[in-house]
Amino acid sequence: MDLVRDLEALAEGARLSIASASDDRALEELRVRFLGKKGEISAVLRGMGQLAAEERPRVGEVANRVRDEVESLLVLARQRIEDARLEQELRGSRIDVTLPGRRLLPRGHRHPVTRTTEEIVAIFARLGYEVASGPEIELDWYNFEALNIPADHPARDMQDTFYVDGAAIGRPEGEGAVLLRTHTSPIQIRAMKRAGSPPIRVVAPGRVYRSDYDQTHTPMFHQVEGICVGPAITFADLKGTLAAFARAFFGAGTRTRVRPSYFPFVEPGAEVDVSCSICGGSGSRSGARCGTCKGSGWLEVLGSGMVHPKVLENVGFDPAAVTGFAFGMGVERMAMLKYGIADLRLFYENDLRFLEQF
Amino acid sequence: MRISLSWLAAYVPLPPAEELARRLTAVGLEVEAVERVGAALDGVVAARILSSERHPGAEKLAVCQVEAGDGPVQVVCGATNWKVGDVVPLATPGTRMPAGHRIDRASLRGVDSHGMLCSAKELALSEDASGLLILPGDAVPGTPLARVLGIEDVVLEVNVTPNRPDALSHLGIAREVAAATGAAVAYPDARLRQQAPPASASLRVSIEAPDRCYRYAARVVEGVRIGPSPAWLRQRLEACGVRSISNVVDATNFVLLERGQPLHAFDLDKVAGAEIVVRMARVGEKMVTLDGVERTLSPDDLVIADRDRASALAGVMGGGDSEISPGTTRVLIESAWFEPTGVRRTARRHALHTEASHRFERGVDPEGVVAALDRCAAMVAELSGGKVLRGAVDVHPHRRRPVDVVLHWARPGEILGMPVSRKEARIALLALGFELRASGAKNGKFRVPSWRLDVTREEDLVEEIVRLRGYDAIPETLPSIVSDTPALPLAAQIIERTRLALEGAGFSEAVNFSFVAPGDLTPLGPGNGRTGIPLRNPISADLAVMRSSLVPSLLKVLAYNRRQRVEDARLYEIASTYHPRGEGAVDDAPALEELHLSGVATGRRHPVGWSAGGDSIDFHDVKGALEAVLETLGVEGVRFVPGGGTWLHPRSAATMEWTAPDGGVVPLGVVGEIHPRVAAAFDLSRGVLAFDLSLEALNRAARLLTGHAGVPRFPAVLRDLAVVVANEVEARSVLDGVRAEPLVEDVTLFDVYKGAPIPDGKKNLAMAIRYRAADRTLTDSEADGAHARIVERLKGELGAELRG
Ligand SMILES: [Zn+2]
Repeated sequence: MDLVRDLEALAEGARLSIASASDDRALEELRVRFLGKKGEISAVLRGMGQLAAEERPRVGEVANRVRDEVESLLVLARQRIEDARLEQELRGSRIDVTLPGRRLLPRGHRHPVTRTTEEIVAIFARLGYEVASGPEIELDWYNFEALNIPADHPARDMQDTFYVDGAAIGRPEGEGAVLLRTHTSPIQIRAMKRAGSPPIRVVAPGRVYRSDYDQTHTPMFHQVEGICVGPAITFADLKGTLAAFARAFFGAGTRTRVRPSYFPFVEPGAEVDVSCSICGGSGSRSGARCGTCKGSGWLEVLGSGMVHPKVLENVGFDPAAVTGFAFGMGVERMAMLKYGIADLRLFYENDLRFLEQF
Repeated sequence: MRISLSWLAAYVPLPPAEELARRLTAVGLEVEAVERVGAALDGVVAARILSSERHPGAEKLAVCQVEAGDGPVQVVCGATNWKVGDVVPLATPGTRMPAGHRIDRASLRGVDSHGMLCSAKELALSEDASGLLILPGDAVPGTPLARVLGIEDVVLEVNVTPNRPDALSHLGIAREVAAATGAAVAYPDARLRQQAPPASASLRVSIEAPDRCYRYAARVVEGVRIGPSPAWLRQRLEACGVRSISNVVDATNFVLLERGQPLHAFDLDKVAGAEIVVRMARVGEKMVTLDGVERTLSPDDLVIADRDRASALAGVMGGGDSEISPGTTRVLIESAWFEPTGVRRTARRHALHTEASHRFERGVDPEGVVAALDRCAAMVAELSGGKVLRGAVDVHPHRRRPVDVVLHWARPGEILGMPVSRKEARIALLALGFELRASGAKNGKFRVPSWRLDVTREEDLVEEIVRLRGYDAIPETLPSIVSDTPALPLAAQIIERTRLALEGAGFSEAVNFSFVAPGDLTPLGPGNGRTGIPLRNPISADLAVMRSSLVPSLLKVLAYNRRQRVEDARLYEIASTYHPRGEGAVDDAPALEELHLSGVATGRRHPVGWSAGGDSIDFHDVKGALEAVLETLGVEGVRFVPGGGTWLHPRSAATMEWTAPDGGVVPLGVVGEIHPRVAAAFDLSRGVLAFDLSLEALNRAARLLTGHAGVPRFPAVLRDLAVVVANEVEARSVLDGVRAEPLVEDVTLFDVYKGAPIPDGKKNLAMAIRYRAADRTLTDSEADGAHARIVERLKGELGAELRG
């Protein structure tokens, strides 16, 4: 019976020492001391040889129970120590989350003219318009004649034109003047000629050039042109399309106003105004007159109209069978209105401190 | 065009100015500004001097009691040209004087003064500073001075589009007002009294160029006395921005502004032979125009000549020789119709833009020529005391046939997308002066008024109808076209992906003018004779040539940013470059326009930060950015071949070559450090990187839709390899040597080292190689064998030595 008592005493000692162990090393020492091959339990069991055969099962049973208990206690103690260590780590000193994040490369920025062009084109692309382009160094015929602006016509004064010396590009005399396109409208002509027959819906962005350089003009700027030609296209369609565009570009509450104007390649011609994006069309801003719309509540943003029958004839369409509308807008102006850019020069200085705001 | 409302009101009843402006804008005559004339005199009123006494403390000052509408007030005055009872201008306290200062209640040497009595000069009315401006004695005290002087007016600045010359006059605007408001126009009566002898006795007119002068009518006024115009006439002209010159000249300008018909007055005694010949100028012929400039004429210039010489540029400007002068007594008044394009060519040739040429080149009313002449002759006679000789000398070789246009009643609705009844169409057109000549079930025939030269076809009538009805009446609908939804063009997708890749690599977009100074392109060296395309009429020498390369503009932007102390800059631009057209052009574009992608970079490799070093960006950073572009476009098989054109540093530049599937080699562009001399030419320091790629070539190489090869099913074996090779051996040769082993899946060069213990002239390349077979697990001995074959190949081909 001594052995049973020894085992019980051993178990009691194990409980105490395991409970007080505070790190992995102490636990490991206790495991070796109690459970190891040369450990205390083994030592007790070695004494079993001297017992009577009938007593052996009972002592064996107690020995197994004590070993199981010690093993369990060790597992629990290990968990307790692990938890304590994690607890300590979680309570440790914080990193400085306010240090700036690490950036390997700066972010590149897209020029506001490009951004605005893309926004405009995307709206018309959703309306089913195809994107087209055309040359910037253009023939007089496409830029003027085909658009119902004959030579010696006063409408040519509306656009101060840069000319290219034909000889400089190996062009024989008498093949018509070569110029920098003054608007994106020649792309209309090229697109209709290319398509060959209606219906056609095209939107065409690009660089245009006019000999004018002051506070409100640069000799190069950007336009987006659009044209829609087909059977039974009406002025009402023009109004609806441009109103939809204005809402998509400037915001859902935007109102549009259309009034008569003159562009030689459309008839009737129309100037399109949108309600001022700065003052919301009220004409005043925090009590003072709105500087953007000069108090009128309206902003002139688009030229448009029904494609002139002469233009349709010039590309081989029958004006009795098809009608269409065309429109054009200045990208810089749209960008200035949308982003509140007051100074046109900013677009072409390419100051990174400006570009990085987009 | 400036339109005086007090003048306009003589022809048509007017709504209030703001409402009128709105109505005119709504019919297509955009009112850009509404200006109140006389506003500068606000605060100045008529005042009667009731009494005066000497200032107690100043001999030269008088203390006056004046009545200015609200009972007597006291004003101190220094002038002496007045007497008690006179009516004079009083600037009341608060008035802002033309000179800029404000009149306030003040004390002058101890005497209170409630305002200031003014001279004409102080009110900027004339140069007369000799004393107070004495007003008519019947002026009611308290009346605003502008009203007393009759200069109170509102002027509309109307933007008249080039198609509407008929609206370049007060009567023209009156017609539009009448049509828009339903009122009637009261045409002024010429009140012409003619006397013998007939004008034809003292003047002969002949037209030698009838295709340039359709009609020439003239009248003669004799016994004229040149003098100043009456105030009402001066004020009307001045309100319209026309300077008063003399009664005769002012009469021609008045009729011009009233009817839009330019007129010219000659001193008949200076017309040699009393003969007018309308003819083309002779080669080398010279004349002095009214502006004092001697001009050499072109045989395409139409002139008004006398027996001896040209005395006016027809329709543009008169000549100095026959000008009206103070001694003129016999006046010839010309009213003519000149062919518009000819006038325009002459005006442009001589860089003249006059009130006359502006109207003639747009087209004046062919039926208004004689009416304007009569009106002017009557005015000249009335203003100058002369007599109008009987009859006009009227040569009219080119008679105009009236224009009739047929309107299908359904057409307005078809074009506008809203119903327009036959009645609505008719009413609108009649209001605008059209005459209905015939009317049927389907259409009507309208006669166009003679002043509407712009209306020639049915669509023009539709425009007239809708502009009068108002564009607001048109509904908003969307087109009913059904068509394929077009895909975004491949070229646009490529540009979008390229932008995203460059933005990820830190490049921002610049947009530069397409024209540069010729000198901007020269530092780049002879680019196959590509020197840009010069403009014939550049706006400045700095913007004179359409650029053949985007790089100079970008270098200038870099220099600009440097001057703004922006040190770290990465910029790109996508734009056309311009070249003379070569053989094999596919369309009729007159020049060759090649889309390019160019970029520049300088400054630090990483943004400044607490954990980043300050290394400078170098060739391989920019190469990495371009590799990202190539990767996003699916371009494979690009080699960076040393050397990249004259404008890059010979040691640090590469040409990017893409090998097409057919084996052909396509150069995509170049990348490298800017040549030190080029950098100096653009005021840049060393270490600027740049690239220039052809988007055309990138389009050819791009494969936006890439396939995929699944993921490997069997494990890889990893082995490192370090070899020492001569410095001249390119990394690409070593890597190609490794890749030549079929079991190599991938190789990464992770270190390049020069210096001890590596011998001089050599470098150590360390690589991580991944071996894998697609169909089985590689054994160690297979990998060892592959590794050994690589080492043997590098030894044999490149003289490489193995390092431990
Ligand atoms: Zn506003």
